[in-house]
Amino acid sequence: MKREWNPLVKQVLDGERELETLPADLRLEAETARRLLLDAIDRQAVTLSASLDARVMARVRSRATAPWSRAWRWLSAPTVPRWAVMVPIAAAAGILLLARTSTPPAIGEPRTALTGQRESVYVRFELYAPHASRVALAGTFNRWDPAATPLVRVGSDGMWTVTIALPSGQHQYGFMVDGRNWVPDPVAPAVDDGFGRRNSVVSVNTMNGRIL
Amino acid sequence: MDHSGAPSDGSVVRAVLAGDTDQFSVLVRRYRDRYARYAAHMLGSIDAAEDAVQDAMVRAYTHLGQCREPENFAGWFFLILRNRCFAERRRSRWETGLEGVSEVAAPEQTESELERSEVVKDLQRALLRLTAEQREVFVLKHVEGLAYDEIAARLKTSVAALKMRMHRAYDRLRELLEAP
Repeated sequence: MKREWNPLVKQVLDGERELETLPADLRLEAETARRLLLDAIDRQAVTLSASLDARVMARVRSRATAPWSRAWRWLSAPTVPRWAVMVPIAAAAGILLLARTSTPPAIGEPRTALTGQRESVYVRFELYAPHASRVALAGTFNRWDPAATPLVRVGSDGMWTVTIALPSGQHQYGFMVDGRNWVPDPVAPAVDDGFGRRNSVVSVNTMNGRIL
Repeated sequence: MDHSGAPSDGSVVRAVLAGDTDQFSVLVRRYRDRYARYAAHMLGSIDAAEDAVQDAMVRAYTHLGQCREPENFAGWFFLILRNRCFAERRRSRWETGLEGVSEVAAPEQTESELERSEVVKDLQRALLRLTAEQREVFVLKHVEGLAYDEIAARLKTSVAALKMRMHRAYDRLRELLEAP
């Protein structure tokens, strides 16, 4: 039979409740849980072998001289001259996003604003999620904090929206639905975030209020 | 540079991108062991952790241009290593035996340390039978000592989702450790 820890015992394991605050009949269970799960943890530092550095650098130097690798790093490095190459590519991929997200907040045209010392553009984000109870925007602009930028449900057709000011540059983002489901923007270009998930991308140009 | 005179991660990343490949060794030295314990617990052995860190470092170099926040190289590198650990789990799906576990556990000397070593190994074996996601949250919270909100920020998920994952892990560990 499957045996589950009492929820109060799990709070003790989480460090959110003191064992002494438990009812007497749960303390033994909590002590057992601590002994089995927490006291047995090996927290000893792990030091890798001294030869690791040399092995990594040998592979790095090998790649540094490979023509394909140099070309890839040149294209993907985020410095100003490279944008001359990347912007037309992003523009070609982001037309749908331009048509959708450049819709301005309330007044009909994209607006620019000063946020601190940096010029910004208001960008409206929308997601169709009729069954969601809450939707939030998380991205590079809010440190991926899913609590920082909630969307508001508009009407009864399942559309959620939020408008925020973004500084010039490329931003990655996604929607957190019901606090647990990561949903990339279905109409924006996306990139692999390096660990199995897709992030949407929006490029903001404050010179003419354009959003790519 | 920071107050110690060492170049910041950001300046090293920019130097490497500008063509000074050897500067990457600064990042290798700085981060080779930072997440080694995480990788060892995720993969079940120090040898596997070393392979993962090595591959993640090379991948970090290859994709360095995608590091949008060079000053946060550490966080970016962690995500690459994490991906590598998950991929390894998907590839092998093995049951790590006692040999692998013993490499993570502390070397024993006295009788009481021997006894503790057995308890440690029992937990290590049980951890390896959790899902990768369950094991990760357990390792980050109880081995690395991160708070739920710190883990949530790092993994781009919610505290509620992490707690649910962790509580299932607690129950699964109980099943495994109390099994006759």
